[in-house]
Amino acid sequence: MDLLQQLVNGLTLGSLYALIAVGYTVVYGIVQLINFAHGEVFMIGAFGGLTTYLALFQGTTAWWTLPIMLVGAVAASVLTAVVMERVAYRPLRSAPRLAPLITAIGISVFLQELVRLFYGKIPGLPDAKSRLPFPRIDGVTGPAFSIGGLDFQRPALFTMGSLAVCAAFLWWFINRTKQGRAMQAVSQDPDTARLMGIDVDRIIVTAFALGAALAAIAGVAQGLQNNNIDFRMGFMAGLKAFTAAVLGGIGNVAGAVVGGLTLGVVEALASQLGPTAWKDVWAFGLLILVLVFRPQGIMGARVVDRA
Amino acid sequence: MSSSVSNPGSHRAERDPRSWRDRLAAGSPDSPDAPAQLNRAFVIGLVGVALLVASAFMSWTYNPALLGNVTLYGNPGTVQIYLLVMALMALFLLLIRKGPLSRLGRHLGRQTGLRALGIGITLYLVIAVGASIALTDDAMLGALDPGVYVGILGGLLVAAAGHLLPTHKAVGERHQRFPAWLEILVVVLLVALALAAAAYGLGIGDPALFVAFLAFVAVIAAGLARGGFFDWLSIVVGHHRTVLLLATFAAAFAFPLTQNGSDANMSIATSVLIFAATAMGLNIVVGLAGLLDLGYIAFLGAGAYVGAMLSESAFATIDWKPPFIIVALIGALFAALLGLIIGSPTLRVSGDYLAIVTLAFGEIFRLTMFNLDGNNGPDLTHGPNGIPAIPELNFFGFDFGATHAFFGVPITRFANYYFLLLLLIGFIILVFTRLNNSRIGRGWIAIREDEKAAEAMGVNVFGLKILAFAGGAFLAGLAGTVKAHQDVSVTPDQYQFLESAFLLAAVVLGGMGTVGGVLLGAVILKLLPEKLRFFADYRLLLFGLLLVLMMRFRPEGLVANRRRQLEFHDDDEALADEVEAIHTEKVT
Repeated sequence: MDLLQQLVNGLTLGSLYALIAVGYTVVYGIVQLINFAHGEVFMIGAFGGLTTYLALFQGTTAWWTLPIMLVGAVAASVLTAVVMERVAYRPLRSAPRLAPLITAIGISVFLQELVRLFYGKIPGLPDAKSRLPFPRIDGVTGPAFSIGGLDFQRPALFTMGSLAVCAAFLWWFINRTKQGRAMQAVSQDPDTARLMGIDVDRIIVTAFALGAALAAIAGVAQGLQNNNIDFRMGFMAGLKAFTAAVLGGIGNVAGAVVGGLTLGVVEALASQLGPTAWKDVWAFGLLILVLVFRPQGIMGARVVDRA
Repeated sequence: MSSSVSNPGSHRAERDPRSWRDRLAAGSPDSPDAPAQLNRAFVIGLVGVALLVASAFMSWTYNPALLGNVTLYGNPGTVQIYLLVMALMALFLLLIRKGPLSRLGRHLGRQTGLRALGIGITLYLVIAVGASIALTDDAMLGALDPGVYVGILGGLLVAAAGHLLPTHKAVGERHQRFPAWLEILVVVLLVALALAAAAYGLGIGDPALFVAFLAFVAVIAAGLARGGFFDWLSIVVGHHRTVLLLATFAAAFAFPLTQNGSDANMSIATSVLIFAATAMGLNIVVGLAGLLDLGYIAFLGAGAYVGAMLSESAFATIDWKPPFIIVALIGALFAALLGLIIGSPTLRVSGDYLAIVTLAFGEIFRLTMFNLDGNNGPDLTHGPNGIPAIPELNFFGFDFGATHAFFGVPITRFANYYFLLLLLIGFIILVFTRLNNSRIGRGWIAIREDEKAAEAMGVNVFGLKILAFAGGAFLAGLAGTVKAHQDVSVTPDQYQFLESAFLLAAVVLGGMGTVGGVLLGAVILKLLPEKLRFFADYRLLLFGLLLVLMMRFRPEGLVANRRRQLEFHDDDEALADEVEAIHTEKVT
């Protein structure tokens, strides 16, 4: 029974990783860039949700605030990601591969500090130098369900539900819309795609925005689950989500979901079988093993061979 | 995709349309209106210099708390003397274009130098005054006297003169030789000047004055750099590398003697040296072999932990206390072993993946040190508490903790470590340069530029990569064992990811694959935060911004390795020719 419970916990955690991992994988699939600052986009999503709540609904806990919070979160994240792409990454597209990676580290540190130093300076908002409490929402937070001896936390159900909805949306978007097909074309061959009349720059921006939107939802989900958020939350979550993306096969969207869930379950089982303190070590160990022995990941993606 | 991206470094290509301002200002030296334009620019420049000199003798503010008292007329304060020096430099740059000194203009005559100097002087005034106002609460803009505005006007006029001066193709700049004694003298004088500037700058207590001094140095450097002086210097230094190296080390050894037994600056200097030594090690991995390592701090940590665990500390967890030389070797070898373990399987994956694997490894190292506390694993590191009370080093009775006298000058605890670290960094630089100029170094360059082609040419790609990785780890481990003693305690959070990012930033900021650049980068990244304490809260914000801006505008670093520069600007034909010329010159 304990094992089943850990499985549930693992799937919850994994859903969160999967939502973030999609952002890495979509961007990588198209521009072969590890957007190291994606964890920070996730963090800004959480803060965007909190800001929307504090600005509009302070004091209420009604369920209908949640969709609006999500809209605020997505807006904040997408804006961040699009500006980031335009200002920092686009000029470096033909630069050696070292340059965008270092830029990404710079952006990551910069965004963290921006939130830490200036979030509280906006009138009406609390100081973000320490953890900030996340609002409680009727129906989504509160006592856990118990089904057959297994505890289902309500926010966990929200997270898993979001993943299901987002995955369905992504599938539809990539396979059934013109934009999505253009995306596939660019990821296969950008130059030919351009010749076919596809606006490659716009597709790249779309990829960044898509990943950011999902990360924003994950940010709100994380806030609901942990009851608090802080400016540091993006680093570890980003690293784990990257691990998940690699595990599933980076560049492969379905792989990101599978990888996220797998990583979540592995972590949960690792803390069941050994001391909890080592669970991150297991996750990173897994990352190294996958990169060494199966760099194309579980689901298999383009073979990565880039200097 | 690449065709739509404009390259900021390729102004020189002929088809490249220049900005309207350049075209307006340039005019070829042969065109008939050039002398008139030269005269006009010359007069404007002279007026600007005159205004600057006047400003230096005027009052800048009636508030004596600002800028170390610049309220007097006719009696320049420190910041005004800086201005005076800059004005004289502007005058010199003007005079070498027209007048008695114009023969020198053949070597230093780029008008961009004057323009940069003018813009710099204006910024200097704004920054110095602005910083002072920001740092002193009771001051405000209203407290400014006309002197400041006269100075700003002067700076703008000098910049305008720089804009208007006709372009002057400095003839044969690259291959101009002077008598060897003169070149050596220049190198030695510059090093001495740098030492004096460092000793003087570190002695400034008032943060506003320190900012002003920094701005002053930056402006002078910018003027010299844009004027082509550093291009000339790099050629000269190329001919007298040993002289520069010896002079630099002599200056570095002399530095503690200028401190008069005070530990305040020496403690900063030692931490800068540890950082610089580690960055030099990373430079072998990233700069020479081109392997991006985001977990390098773990190797420093491995060395430090070995040093701590085998030390005489009461909290050391291993009951074997060999002499330090042995400990240092074990620490370095342990780090190298870790490098091998992490490197040998992962070096098959390249580029970004290697970066992430090393990052993951760095995190694993930190978490492991955190968890080996007796509860979650064997008690080796005392977990988050770390290993404190590591005793001072003691070489054959020479106690590093005590103050010694050296010809009457007291050498303090930090100065002792400073000397030791200087030897260490000298060793690392020696390893670095010898490797770089060997068959191994050329192999690394080949791998960096095209791994497949290198392999096809018979370069032992795997072996060389492993050598870089393990070698770099070895050097970091060595530095770590010293760091454990110098820091007195070792804790896991000294070795987090951000520190690796700082190291990488030092290498990138300074210039990958260069010695001077990385040392400069390390000094900037470590020294400035220590001196600018009032800035502490914004330190990381600026750090992040700096990385982004560097990658955008000068990815090759402050001191660029020519070959590296070409890798970042691969459509710059002029640069390609230059690199080839230098290369063939070396060979023949």
